Amino acid sequence: MEKGLLYWIGYILEQYWPYFIKGMFVTLWISILGTLLGYVLGFLTGLVQSTPVSQEDSRKKKVVYGTLKLICKVFVAVFRGTPMMVQAMVIYYGLKTSGVDISPFTASILVLMLNTGAYMAETVRGGIISVDKGQLEGGFAMGMSHSLTMFTVVLPQAFRNIIPEMVNMFLTNLKMTSELNVIGVAELYFTTKTAAGTYYRYFEAYIICALIYFILCTFFTNLLSYVEKKTFVNKDYELAVEYMDNAE
Amino acid sequence: MNNQSQSVLKVEHLVKSFGTHQVLKDLDFSIKPKEVVCIIGSSGSGKSTLLRCINGLETKTCGNIYFHGEKLGSGSKELNKFRTQVGMVFQSFNLFNNMTVLQNCMTGTTKVLKISKDESKFRAIKYLRQVGMAPYINAHPEQLSGGQKQRVAIARALTMQPEMLLFDEPTSALDPEMVGEVLQVMKQLADGGLTMMIVTHEMGFARDVSTRTIFMDNGYIVEDDIPQNIFSHPKNPRMQEFLKRYIKNLDNK
Repeated sequence: MEKGLLYWIGYILEQYWPYFIKGMFVTLWISILGTLLGYVLGFLTGLVQSTPVSQEDSRKKKVVYGTLKLICKVFVAVFRGTPMMVQAMVIYYGLKTSGVDISPFTASILVLMLNTGAYMAETVRGGIISVDKGQLEGGFAMGMSHSLTMFTVVLPQAFRNIIPEMVNMFLTNLKMTSELNVIGVAELYFTTKTAAGTYYRYFEAYIICALIYFILCTFFTNLLSYVEKKTFVNKDYELAVEYMDNAE
Repeated sequence: MNNQSQSVLKVEHLVKSFGTHQVLKDLDFSIKPKEVVCIIGSSGSGKSTLLRCINGLETKTCGNIYFHGEKLGSGSKELNKFRTQVGMVFQSFNLFNNMTVLQNCMTGTTKVLKISKDESKFRAIKYLRQVGMAPYINAHPEQLSGGQKQRVAIARALTMQPEMLLFDEPTSALDPEMVGEVLQVMKQLADGGLTMMIVTHEMGFARDVSTRTIFMDNGYIVEDDIPQNIFSHPKNPRMQEFLKRYIKNLDNK
């Protein structure tokens, strides 16, 4: 008698659950580390790209920023213009042939970081543009330098504006790590492939895989939106009664 | 006496062009200590641009600005130092949205003047008290009304203890009920002897509070005189025409 879907799912899980769990954690590690590092890279790139360089600036500043801006521009163009799967191959095997032996795991984090960084750069730039120009001028009018105003006033507001997009990026990354199986990193998709191949039970194995991805994504969606709400709730203010003397 | 007669701010041959359009056409004037100068004129006459050129928010095309007789360079360090001494209040307030009222009033003093936190807080509260906003130290800008925001912005500018304040249409974004509270604060400052330059559409305020009124039209300073002369005996036909529209309002007040 033909055995049913549930039987096979149960069977694969029974045989392979430690691998699925391990794959899940590898996926988590790659996406969390890669995304966080990518955020940092993206912030730096976005900052460089949105730093204005005017005619009156010193020659040194013009040269330094000119070069940096060019590097950032090329970086963003390349990593937004090619598929991540291809980037993974090129970087991993490219490094291998040039004598740098890195593990697939490290390579995965590197690729994800660069990919996230490129998209994040544009997001950060957008976030900075979205902050009213008056905020900068308010700082300038008190003698604050451009960088001081950026860091104390504009970036905190830009950051607030791009958080939903950052969360979005993390969730996308969580799923995109599956593409990294091409360089042989044992993440969730890779382990599923192994399990499926052993019993020739592709449908059942990938149902399990899909479920795990779905659970992970749902969990992080809820967790992150909860954290966002808790962190950025605008509390009612209390009047400072000790200074009420001449209040209206 | 010598100190009295010397100007705080002197503007020479100031020209500002946006592309081919010349907004300020060779302006010359100076401001003496404790003067309250109101700049009036129709929209597009270059009033705001003039203020923005003075404190470097717009880069002037040519001309020189002297502060206490010293020529202001174009370097950012020099400009930032100048800005701590000549503050500015904006039409759109420009309070930092990510900070409370108190933090807004402490940023300049702690980060630019490098004054200790305690001293900064003391100063912030002193000036917030002066504008009647001290009880609101924990509020965020979006929780305040326009008039309250502008009063906080004035207090914030005062925490730097500037020698002079520039006001760029401080009441234009406010509804009529809130204009009064802001003008009252500004009158207080004028009475206290602060040097001020105010771009405004409040003719009553210009007439009653300013020690000097400048009428600008089409990028030129057309009249520059004590307000009594400007408002009672305008010489220039353009000025007469401009004032006609406001005379009714003035008489009602």
